[in-house]
Amino acid sequence: MNSRQRDQLATLVFYSIAAGITALLFGLIGYMLYQGFPKLTLDFLTSPSSSFKAGGGIGSQLFNSFYILVLTMLFTIPLGLGGGIYMAEYARDNKLTSTIRTCIEVLASLPSIVIGMFGLLVFVNLTGWGYTMIGGALALTVFNLPVMVRVCEDALRSVPREQKEASLALGLTHWHSIKTVLLPAAFPGILTGAILASGRVFGEAASLLFTAGITTPTLDFGNWNPFDSVSPLNIFRPAETLAVHIWSVNTQGLIPDVRAVADGSAAVLILAVLVFNLLARWIGSLLHKKITAQA
Amino acid sequence: MLSMTMEKVKQATLPKEKEVREGSSLLARKQALTFEDVNIYYGTHQAVKNVSFSIPERAITALIGPSGCGKSTFLRSINRMNDTIAGARSTGVIQYDDVNLLGQEINTAALRKEIGMVFQKPNLFAKSIYQNMIHALKFHGITGKDELMYTVEECLRKAALWEEVKDRLHQSALSLSGGQQQRLCIARALALKPNILLLDEPCSALDPISNSKIEDLMIELKEEFTILIVTHNMHQASRISDQTAFFLDGILVEYSETNQLFTNPLKKETEDYITGRFG
Ligand SMILES: Nc1ncnc2c1ncn2[C@@H]1O[C@H](COP(=O)(O)OP(=O)(O)OP(=O)(O)O)[C@@H](O)[C@H]1O
Ligand SMILES: [Mg+2]
Repeated sequence: MNSRQRDQLATLVFYSIAAGITALLFGLIGYMLYQGFPKLTLDFLTSPSSSFKAGGGIGSQLFNSFYILVLTMLFTIPLGLGGGIYMAEYARDNKLTSTIRTCIEVLASLPSIVIGMFGLLVFVNLTGWGYTMIGGALALTVFNLPVMVRVCEDALRSVPREQKEASLALGLTHWHSIKTVLLPAAFPGILTGAILASGRVFGEAASLLFTAGITTPTLDFGNWNPFDSVSPLNIFRPAETLAVHIWSVNTQGLIPDVRAVADGSAAVLILAVLVFNLLARWIGSLLHKKITAQA
Repeated sequence: MLSMTMEKVKQATLPKEKEVREGSSLLARKQALTFEDVNIYYGTHQAVKNVSFSIPERAITALIGPSGCGKSTFLRSINRMNDTIAGARSTGVIQYDDVNLLGQEINTAALRKEIGMVFQKPNLFAKSIYQNMIHALKFHGITGKDELMYTVEECLRKAALWEEVKDRLHQSALSLSGGQQQRLCIARALALKPNILLLDEPCSALDPISNSKIEDLMIELKEEFTILIVTHNMHQASRISDQTAFFLDGILVEYSETNQLFTNPLKKETEDYITGRFG
């Protein structure tokens, strides 16, 4: 075999690996969407789930998923930004920094069920809150924070050094340069990363099982007083999310249409995650265009 | 405004006795900067070795020398840009009025407002031409619309750019040509009304026409500012500068009037370099 043939063979091998992965992915998503598609009616998406009878929906779970995501991001983004700015701009190259970096990496690779157990210990028992939305959001923050710190740090580091020097050489202070030059330049990267992380959070189940719980009280969607126990906005109530719902109907559902509900929920979940990913790409390229084309 | 920041720079350091150790003709003018035993290290590597000389006010001083001889490092120590590089360290004294710029207590932001810098590659912000001009002004407390506009026009005119951009001030600065971008960088630095302007090979990426525009510009600007320019272009140095410093391996080999250095160098290394025998 000469070198040209070897080259062709390598090309062939890599193409077929890529094709295999793509086919697998499309097959999986296609199958799930195909299975779940018949369930995707407005009624299914908006009505509350039922415990025993067929025909329940996923209305509260869908709402919980989005609400808990918003809460999580509310905690994660400022903390992640702070950590990312520290790591990219202030941390010196020393032992302490490398220790912090190792901690972040370990935290990022922690199995989410472990985070769930930690959440149970701290946000459920220690605080005495029981299973709550806020407990779930805090557990998800622990789950998501290392990723967010990484995203912010990387985005800031990828801003060309010249930009920072330009700003400093004009007599701007370090912090003002970060605020007015580095962060705006890093914004597209941070936003894209945040949206991708949102997709991950949206689909997360294990760390919520023992924190936000696997039940949802009957919600009154006409009551928007966050302190009322039947209000959807109440953060101190159990909140089963969509991903958790898939797990719970499958393992302990007593309804006759378990399969259909699970398929429908899975399809919704996959679609949501897909939308998050596409949104991240779309907004990312839009911002990139806007920044490179005109101010 | 200006004198206020000057005060800030001064307050930060103790006065130090001035010491000028220059060749005769250079002594006649007031010195803008005096370097005494300046050493600069990157970790253990020493990039600038025992440099002592001084540069006069309102004149152009050129720094020449082969690649890697420490010109940029030296220039960047003046406005303390080397502070941003981990492991970089400077010793010695850079006397500016009555402060030592290398002092630990120097307020670097105030210092950089008075000693502006233009880099080799244009480094505009991804904003409009107008926003690039006023970005630092606003930080330094100039916020009046009229005052800002006045300064923008004044400095763009000084940088010989006004006619070319006056109708597109709110378009992206990145849509300008390379030469225009570099002149905008100069205008942006001028807007802070610095006393000294440091330029690190500002023309190396430019075509001959932009190049000569910037050279003309600098000759005009030296009426008002002290200019220190690093250049690889020997013709440029001889055309525009009043005195020239030749660096080799971090050492200041020769410093004298530009005419003299190019026609009658004292050191053999200088002669070899300017006649193109190495570097
Ligand atoms: N950030 C840095 N870290 C470590 N060493 C550096 C750094 N920057 C420059 N040096 C070293 O310091 C020496 C002087 O570099 P400097 O950039 O000042 O040279 P220069 O005269 O400006 O060269 P050129 O004409 O190519 O721009 C070189 O040996 C270089 O390798
Ligand atoms: Mg250089």
